[in-house]
Amino acid sequence: MTSLIKETESIKEAVTFINAIDVNKFSRLISRIIQKLHLKGERTFSEEEEEKLQAALSLDKQALSLVLETAAFMLEQAVYHNVKPASLQQQLEAIHLNPDKAEVFSQTWATAGPELVEKLKHSTFAPKKLEYVGWQLNLQMAQSSQAKLKSPSAVLQLGLRNEDSEVMLIPSCSQTSWTLRNVKQLGFEFADSCERKSAEKQRLTEVQENAFINFNHQELLDFYNKLEIVQGQLDSLT
Amino acid sequence: MTSSHSLDSSFLGGRIPPEIESMSKNLKDVDQEMFRKILKAVVSALEGKDCREVMKSIAESSTIPQERLSHIIAGMYRVLSEAIRIPTASLKQEAFRDDLRELRIPEDFITDFSSVVFGNRRAALDAATSQNDPHLPTLEDFKWRVDVAISTSSLARALQPSVLMQMKLSDGTFHRFEVPVSKFNELRYNVALILKEMNDLEKRNILKIQD
Repeated sequence: MTSLIKETESIKEAVTFINAIDVNKFSRLISRIIQKLHLKGERTFSEEEEEKLQAALSLDKQALSLVLETAAFMLEQAVYHNVKPASLQQQLEAIHLNPDKAEVFSQTWATAGPELVEKLKHSTFAPKKLEYVGWQLNLQMAQSSQAKLKSPSAVLQLGLRNEDSEVMLIPSCSQTSWTLRNVKQLGFEFADSCERKSAEKQRLTEVQENAFINFNHQELLDFYNKLEIVQGQLDSLT
Repeated sequence: MTSSHSLDSSFLGGRIPPEIESMSKNLKDVDQEMFRKILKAVVSALEGKDCREVMKSIAESSTIPQERLSHIIAGMYRVLSEAIRIPTASLKQEAFRDDLRELRIPEDFITDFSSVVFGNRRAALDAATSQNDPHLPTLEDFKWRVDVAISTSSLARALQPSVLMQMKLSDGTFHRFEVPVSKFNELRYNVALILKEMNDLEKRNILKIQD
């Protein structure tokens, strides 16, 4: 079985610090970290909380940050390989973590682990995700070109959420057309042939995009039949 | 609506539109061939086609002064557009012909009008006119895909199915999005629910009454 954690220099250093921490405080620390582990971009502790921790655990800023990162890393590895708690405990003791601390890890993992794995299984990324399904059934009585209709028509509202909630608008060379680009961490990329030096950037927070689709009876029936085929495929997987 | 043919129950409603009144006065100067040419142009106008060229050539080739010709064309357009608004189930051919007779339109022309309203081009005509009406986009193309995520950066063994959908709507917009399995179930359930409600609605008596 591949070892989860290689004993590098920084791991050794972190282990020394961790071993010095009081076991009860450590237990609460690990619980908190594992709760926030599925939120990749967010900090586990706010600035204030980190300062308090530094005092409580008598660690300086660098040492604290090393401890937090290492603990998180150990848990991430456990999640990635979906190890059993006993195996985790063994592996941690192998890199010279004290048995009491190793036990804290494996106990927290045993309680909170399965839930975390489930959460991560469901957090896939895709540019747009269906978040909301709403609908309205109308009876259309007439329109400009036709009187006396009485035809049922349904409007389906699909709420689509963009994964990147921040979207940049960058102009291309022609004055009236704009290209949408997603910017995450890297800088801005301008259209190659664009002559304009400064781009006007508008930061938009696009939370949910709605798609409204109209269906008459036959169209809805066709759509439903297609959904049934998809369901059949999903069923065949289990 | 009664079936007696007083002016009130004409397919045109209580008041005869002025262009139709003036058309019937002017129609006696029009021969069958000219009438049929104009009728053809009016029908293609109803279908949304550009018929300025045709109209110009009709105007040039005819002896009728332009002003009277325009009354005739306007009247014919109005007769047809009012007639095709009413579903064929409600407006019977005989009633239509009677109404036109009341307007003192010559019998041959009535037959020509009838052949447009009740002929086999009617369905195409209806489809063309309803295109201009406001409506929300409909689903033109629907493609889907079932994926299984085998592993991710957080999990070596994820084995999580998901559905990817691609929809092209009639107004040209394009949506590609992922549907988690739980949301897919919700979507499927809701669509089934709407279908059930539609069926219930269609069975209700109010829809069965023909008016």
